[in-house]
This record gives sequence, structure tokens and C-alpha cells, in this order.
Amino acid sequence: MMHTIRLDRVLRETVNTPYSDLVTRATGRAVRTSIRQTIEALEGGTALLDFSSVGLVDFSCADEVVAQLLLEKTDDVIVVLGGLREDHTEAIDHVLTHHSLAVVVQESPDGRPRLLGLVDREAQEVFERLHAHGAADAETMGQDLGWEAGRAQDALDTLVRLRLVRQEGFTFAPLPIP
Amino acid sequence: MSRVVEIPAFFDDKGFEQFAHSFSAGSITDRMLFDARGAQWASPYGLIGMLTAGQAVKEAGGPPPAFAVPAADEVRRYWVRAGFFGAAAELFELHGKVPKVKVEEVSDVLLSVTPVRAMEDVHGVVGKIQEGAARILTNELGLEPAATARFGMALSEACQNIVEHSGTSGWVAVHAYTFRRRLGGRRVVVIAVGDAGVGFRRSLEATQARRFGDRWGDAAALEAAVIQEVSRFRDPGRGQGLPGIKRYLLRWQGKLSIRSGTARIAIVPPWDEDVPMTESLAPFPGAQLQIVIPAKEGAPTT
Repeated sequence: MMHTIRLDRVLRETVNTPYSDLVTRATGRAVRTSIRQTIEALEGGTALLDFSSVGLVDFSCADEVVAQLLLEKTDDVIVVLGGLREDHTEAIDHVLTHHSLAVVVQESPDGRPRLLGLVDREAQEVFERLHAHGAADAETMGQDLGWEAGRAQDALDTLVRLRLVRQEGFTFAPLPIP
Repeated sequence: MSRVVEIPAFFDDKGFEQFAHSFSAGSITDRMLFDARGAQWASPYGLIGMLTAGQAVKEAGGPPPAFAVPAADEVRRYWVRAGFFGAAAELFELHGKVPKVKVEEVSDVLLSVTPVRAMEDVHGVVGKIQEGAARILTNELGLEPAATARFGMALSEACQNIVEHSGTSGWVAVHAYTFRRRLGGRRVVVIAVGDAGVGFRRSLEATQARRFGDRWGDAAALEAAVIQEVSRFRDPGRGQGLPGIKRYLLRWQGKLSIRSGTARIAIVPPWDEDVPMTESLAPFPGAQLQIVIPAKEGAPTT
């Protein structure tokens, strides 16, 4: 199940500001605490952090809201981002790369989810393949890409570790994103 | 008798050194007269530099310095529009006529002198500046529309440094103007941020001094923060603000300079002839940061 968290609303509820900008580390910490409370009330599924009505996002706030949230782990809930502008993407990519993290972004020009942050090329390729062709095990993935199964397994393990795909037994599947 | 602190006629980052030398020529608690009568022009960096000096005197318990306002009416009016006298009245005894000036909606003063005391002030600064910044950055400097958001991000990070590291409050101001000599008379936007706080050396001393050993000082502290991108916080997520600013400035061929204590570091773009590091400057309290973003080549000059 997908639960959308509108960050502009969280900002207004958390910080006394007439603006819609996610700036400053203190603001980021307060917003993250509020997101965390929402996520804790969910029973699994996916939390979409919706940036579509957010103004600026600076590096410090991006670090607190996105990177620190991913570092904290979020129990059974997978965090996905949506509604990002180009400048939001830059700031978030910068902080995720700094921490060797990555996250799934819901939309891209071709309508498929994409990755943001530090992911090697092989993991990126496997991620795209999963979203284009659906769930697969490492052997099938390796065959599809013309790789050794071990190479595909490593890439899939990376994606699981970063919580970018789901693993059920020996099968790997894209996150449940509408 | 008061010690006279000369305000340079053209008070930008170059003139600042003359000012710092004059200010530091005696004790900070001396009775002082800041003589701005001959002032013809001041950049936001110069205006904030004077306020920083006044704040340092106040925090040291010195008597409020006298301040002789510029003789030229046009200069006084510009300084009023820039918000200088509003802030200066709390730190100096002003001598001379300060005119009442109607605030223009469209002005080269993108952000008048604004205090930064807490994180809420950073929200206000970033929120207020966006419309004016979009007008100048896109129309006059010829930068892509998305530059406005990145400009706001750089401004936010610069202001946060005051709250996070200075141990006191500071100011920020943003002006657009035309270089007289450099860059063939191109338009620039200049962000100036300053405080009279502990400075980079003291802020980083606990975590970095041992690593630098005998080299430790103002220059080493600036090198650690700006070049090596270290933070005084041990949290690995910290210290991303200045690298972020540098990244944007590289894209815009912008210039970053930071002065703290007796040293000054600069990330120098190809159009400027500044040196990357200057040491043994006159001591000056706190830290002063300046960002210069030039118009793209071929953008209309005004």
C-alpha cells in the first residue's frame, strides 16, 4: 500500500513559517521527526515523500529529511520520493551520494521509477530491467543481461541492501509503486 | 580623544583590508569614530563589515563608536535603502543627517541588511529574496531560470554558517551592481554574510588543530573548511553546505571568498586575479563570506 506524505504540509505543521522552503538543518530535523512518526504508524507498504509543493530544498535540509531518514531505517516501510524538481534532485542526489545511499524516485520522463544517489552501473541496469520486465531471480536476470549469475546476484544484493527492490526467497521484485 | 577608523571611499572586499587595518590599530574598547564622510560607494561586504566591527565593540563592552555618515546625499540614500543605518543605529552613535527614503519595490538591493540570529531568520531571507533574485539572475545575468533556486540554496547555506558556527548573530545582504573595471563592466550579484563570532579557527580548533600541528591558525582553519570540506561536527552528514556552494559557483563561474581572523581564502574563477590564500592580514573579528555571481558573457550590461 502506498501512503503519500506531502512535505509542504508537514513543513507547515512542524515549523512556524509562511514559506514552503525546506531549508536549514533544524527544519529538516523537525520534518524528519514528523515523517518518522507517520511511518511508525503505518503497517508496512511504501511511503511516498511528495515534494511537489515544496519550494527550495537546501543541502542541510535534504540531508536531514532524506539521508538521515534512510540511515535510520524505516522498519517495514519503504521510502520513495516523488514530485521532485531539478534543483530538489540535485540537492538530494548530493547528500545521498555523500552517504553512499540511494532512493527510488517515482517519476521520470519515460514514466518508470528511477534511482537517485550512489548506485553502481550494474545495480542501475538490473533495477531498470526489473522495472521493465518484472520480478526475476539472479539466474534469469543474468541470462537476460548476458552476465554470470554471480554478477547479477551481487547487483541484486546491492539493491536489496539499499532497499530499492524487494526480495522474496530467491526472487527479486520492483517496489510496489503505482 | 577618539581613535579614527577610516571608511574607504570605495568600500568593497579590497577596501575592506584598509578598513580592517584601521579598525585593529588599537584596542577594541577604545573610543572610536568611524569616519564615513568621504565614502562614495560601499558593497554589501563593506556595509556588513562596518556592522560587524560595531557588534564586536559592543560584545567586548566598549563604548558605542561614533559614526560620521557619508557627506554625499546619494550615498546616504543608498545606504538607507540597503538597510545599513537601521542596523547601525543599534551599534553606533550616528552623527549627520540620515534621510528618510521610500523603499523601492524594484531595486538593486535584492536583500537589505538583514540580521541572522536564528534558523527562522534563514527561512525569512530565502523566502523574501526569490522574486527579486529571479528577476536579476534571469533577466540581467542571463542565467537559466533554475539558477534562482540554486541561488537560494547557496544563500541558505551561507546564512546557516552564522547560526551553526559563529556563536553569535550576524548579517546578510545581497546587491546587484555593475563592476567598474573587472569583467568588462558586467553585472554581478553579490551576497555578503558576516558575523563577529568565534571565527573558523576557534570553531574548528577542537577537531582539527592536532591534525595540522604547528601549521594551525586562521589560514589552516579556512583550508580545512573550504578545501578539505571538514566540519567541526563528527556526524558524517555535516559539512555539506560549503561544498554545495562551491559546486554552484563552479557552474556559474562565481567567486567565493571567506575572511576569518587574519586570513582570507578564495575560490578564484578565471575572470578574477585574486590569490587563493592571503595570510598575515589585519585581525578582524568573526568571519566574512562573499559570493560574486557574474552575468553570463553576452548578457546585456546595464
